[in-house]
Amino acid sequence: MSNPKPPKVALLVTCLVDMVRPSVGFASVKLLEDAGCTVEVPPQTCCGQPNHNSGDRAGAAALARTMIAAMEGHDYVIVPSGSCAATVIKDYPQILADDPDWAERAKSLAARTHEIVSFLTDVLGVEAVAARFPARATYHDSCSGLRSLGIKAQPRTLLASVEGLELTEMAEAEVCCGFGGTFCVKYPEISNKMVSNKSGHIGEAGADLLLAGDLGCLMNMAGKLSREGRPVQARHVVEVLAGDVATPAIGET
Amino acid sequence: MTARDRILDRVRRATGGGDRVAVAVRLGHSQAQPAPIPAEAQTEGAARISQFIDKAVAVDATVSRLASLDDLPAALAEELRNRNLPAAIRTGTDAAFERDWGTVEHTTGPGRLIEPATLSRAHLGMAETGTLVLASGADNPVTLTFLGETHFVVVRTQDIKAGFEDMWAEWRVRALDPRTVNMVTGPSRSADIGQTLQLGAHGPVALHVFVVDS
Amino acid sequence: MSALHPTTPRFKQNARAALADPNIQAAMSHAQSGFVDKRAKARAKLPEFDALRDAARDLKDHTLANLDLYLERYEAKVIAAGGHVHWAETAEDARRIVLDICQKAGAKTVNKGKSMISEECGINDHLEANGIRPQETDLGEYIIQLRGEMPSHIIAPAVHVTVAQIEAEFRKHHTHLDPDRNLSELSDLLAEAREVLREKYFQAEVGITGANLLIAETGQSVIVTNEGNGDLSQSLPRVHIVIASLEKIVPTLEDAATVLRVLARSATGQEITVYTTFSSGPRREGDPDGPEEYHVVLLDNGRSGMLGTDFQDMLRCIRCGACMNHCPVYQAVGGHAYGWVYPGPMGAVLTPSLIGIEQGGHLPNASTFCGRCEAVCPMRIPLPKMMRHWREREFERNLTPGTVRLGLGFWRYLCTRPGLYRRFTGMTAFGLRCLALGKGRIRRLPMGGGWTNHRDFPAPQGGTFQAKWRARR
Repeated sequence: MSNPKPPKVALLVTCLVDMVRPSVGFASVKLLEDAGCTVEVPPQTCCGQPNHNSGDRAGAAALARTMIAAMEGHDYVIVPSGSCAATVIKDYPQILADDPDWAERAKSLAARTHEIVSFLTDVLGVEAVAARFPARATYHDSCSGLRSLGIKAQPRTLLASVEGLELTEMAEAEVCCGFGGTFCVKYPEISNKMVSNKSGHIGEAGADLLLAGDLGCLMNMAGKLSREGRPVQARHVVEVLAGDVATPAIGET
Repeated sequence: MTARDRILDRVRRATGGGDRVAVAVRLGHSQAQPAPIPAEAQTEGAARISQFIDKAVAVDATVSRLASLDDLPAALAEELRNRNLPAAIRTGTDAAFERDWGTVEHTTGPGRLIEPATLSRAHLGMAETGTLVLASGADNPVTLTFLGETHFVVVRTQDIKAGFEDMWAEWRVRALDPRTVNMVTGPSRSADIGQTLQLGAHGPVALHVFVVDS
Repeated sequence: MSALHPTTPRFKQNARAALADPNIQAAMSHAQSGFVDKRAKARAKLPEFDALRDAARDLKDHTLANLDLYLERYEAKVIAAGGHVHWAETAEDARRIVLDICQKAGAKTVNKGKSMISEECGINDHLEANGIRPQETDLGEYIIQLRGEMPSHIIAPAVHVTVAQIEAEFRKHHTHLDPDRNLSELSDLLAEAREVLREKYFQAEVGITGANLLIAETGQSVIVTNEGNGDLSQSLPRVHIVIASLEKIVPTLEDAATVLRVLARSATGQEITVYTTFSSGPRREGDPDGPEEYHVVLLDNGRSGMLGTDFQDMLRCIRCGACMNHCPVYQAVGGHAYGWVYPGPMGAVLTPSLIGIEQGGHLPNASTFCGRCEAVCPMRIPLPKMMRHWREREFERNLTPGTVRLGLGFWRYLCTRPGLYRRFTGMTAFGLRCLALGKGRIRRLPMGGGWTNHRDFPAPQGGTFQAKWRARR
């Protein structure tokens, strides 16, 4: 699919990817460039989701303004995370609804922001990727991406085109993994029960590779899988779609 | 100021007070029903009767069809025999039950502690859910509906409505005003023991419907 | 735990105990898959289901906006039918009113249909303290009454009790029956409960039921049941008391139909419950059965205080239980961990409104905001958003733990200064990598026990994306 003018995309890399797993950012860039976009990475910090969810309204508004200012001037803002994308798309307009200087800018950014996989399929019309990644994989539907943004079929459509990849569905793929941002450390035993259930389902699905679109969820599940000694690797879905076999899986060297 | 006054006052201050016109419109039914009516609540003709029967059977009622109420005593006698129940039936004073019951002993009155078989007449039915709609009163005492171990109910084909809406419309036309309206759909059940569904909680263990064509 | 003594402040300890309780764990995992599948099947069979949810939300919003007028109309109809309406501002008022009616009726026993409002008001304890015996007749409520517990689910009160525990309870309490009797089948247990409760239906002077709905047009109260116990509790005694909170009102019979179409499907996956009963007042002239007196107790207890606030949408709740049926936190710990009357997501939003955020604060915090509750709520209540509003209230009032406030303040400071942020994230990535000692994962995070007590912490790759990006370009 060729556009007369390549879409100008800003990558909102997310603070977690930035600090913990840059390879997700590079895989995102590759996918976007392969699809014909020019990609820029404006200097950025955090979307403010932790402050918003913790009830710190002023903090959330401050971080929202910072991010809006950082991300202006592009056709699209693309995010390799369902929860961070949902914060910008669904929450920013509400957070700044009563701020006359920022309400319109928040709405404008929300309208231009997309989670990366759904952007590729729904906006750019990408139907397949030219990647090879032999594995038996299962996909976890992270909550925000699924319920706030309707991301369900899109990653599966693209994964189906990855050479050598067999996708098997686990039971309760749509049930929360127990990460929930600060929840996993505020209520660790309940979080542990939830992630143990998830780990059990991954095992029952017979997968050797766990995929999802949110790094927080993936770190939570990967940490449990490795503590239990299960032979399952965890990667971000964009890394597989970009054919990045070289980078060690999450929690591995 | 009474508690009533204080509560209503708090409500009004929070909401700004209700809109009398909007409320009168809604209560007056002068505007079309705002909510969607499911297609399955709008079946007509023979399909409606089959739907009623299928839905009732799906929730463990049994159903048989009679040409007229004249066939009722014989049909009831056979049901009692087949179910190993005593040849006795208790009803209210509904005119439909003033007839010769043959060998079946017929008593009238409210339900008692031990009540093997009771018989009621439903004013209306709803095909939407396979539901019988009964009115309390001397004609069909409500305690017969709930104390009968096996409950038999008679409903006329022409009284089976498609769903809630036309059922309520007919109810209003008939200007019925009983203490209770009882909608009954199948025999009683509970899943409180081990989350496993079982029939025969406190109400009837069995429900049999006679659908009468005239 | 009781209505007057919530244990909600001890939610974490309650949860820990529940996670370690094999009976609760077995009962909860068995129950939840059933509820989830049944609702999904019911929804799949009714194409108009989601449109009906929208309509139900709209009619409830209309009702709340005009609540004073609909309450007045309802009251007038009840009085015209020969009933009495009592207005209770608080739970204490409700207790006093109910006791007064029971004492005037000379009641020694009161039969109860299932009523969460009666749990909220602590009616049973109050009657017992005054020498009147409350007899629960709903099978689940009967079981927990024998065990001296509160319900752990709003429609399946004994969901946390295993079959073996039920058998043990029956043997312990039904001492008039043959101790050698066989109770190995579920049907044996049901038959025994039916037999034991049968006589009791005839022995009470007063019957108390709740109301799923109150209909303004007709002055009727509606109960939906499967067992028939609610109907027997109201038809046989001389006095019938209906206890219901203000927001149960809907305008018309047609509005009731819309709600009924989504209620049972959302709760148990049934198209309609076995018995849907509309009651209007005392017995009519010529009635051979039915109560001689009919009393409706309308309860405020915080509802009027929710109108016009961030929490008004919670007043749309029809108590179907779908939210808790789909909540992974509720499944993990069961209902008693929540420490009061209402568990699960609806309990997390409602409880702080009724007992205060100081006592109830854990509940809206113990959520990942996964959103499954909102996705299945028949009344489209935005439950996670309202839990977040409670967190905002806590933050405004300095109830958020100090370390959390400090962390959020630090994060805000950092993230509004990109240069400082870059330096901090670079150092953190480096520092955590060092802690991994060359391995991919960290087994123990100092001060991070909440994470590493249960799972490994994947080590960062080293370097930040933004630093690497600048280096490449």
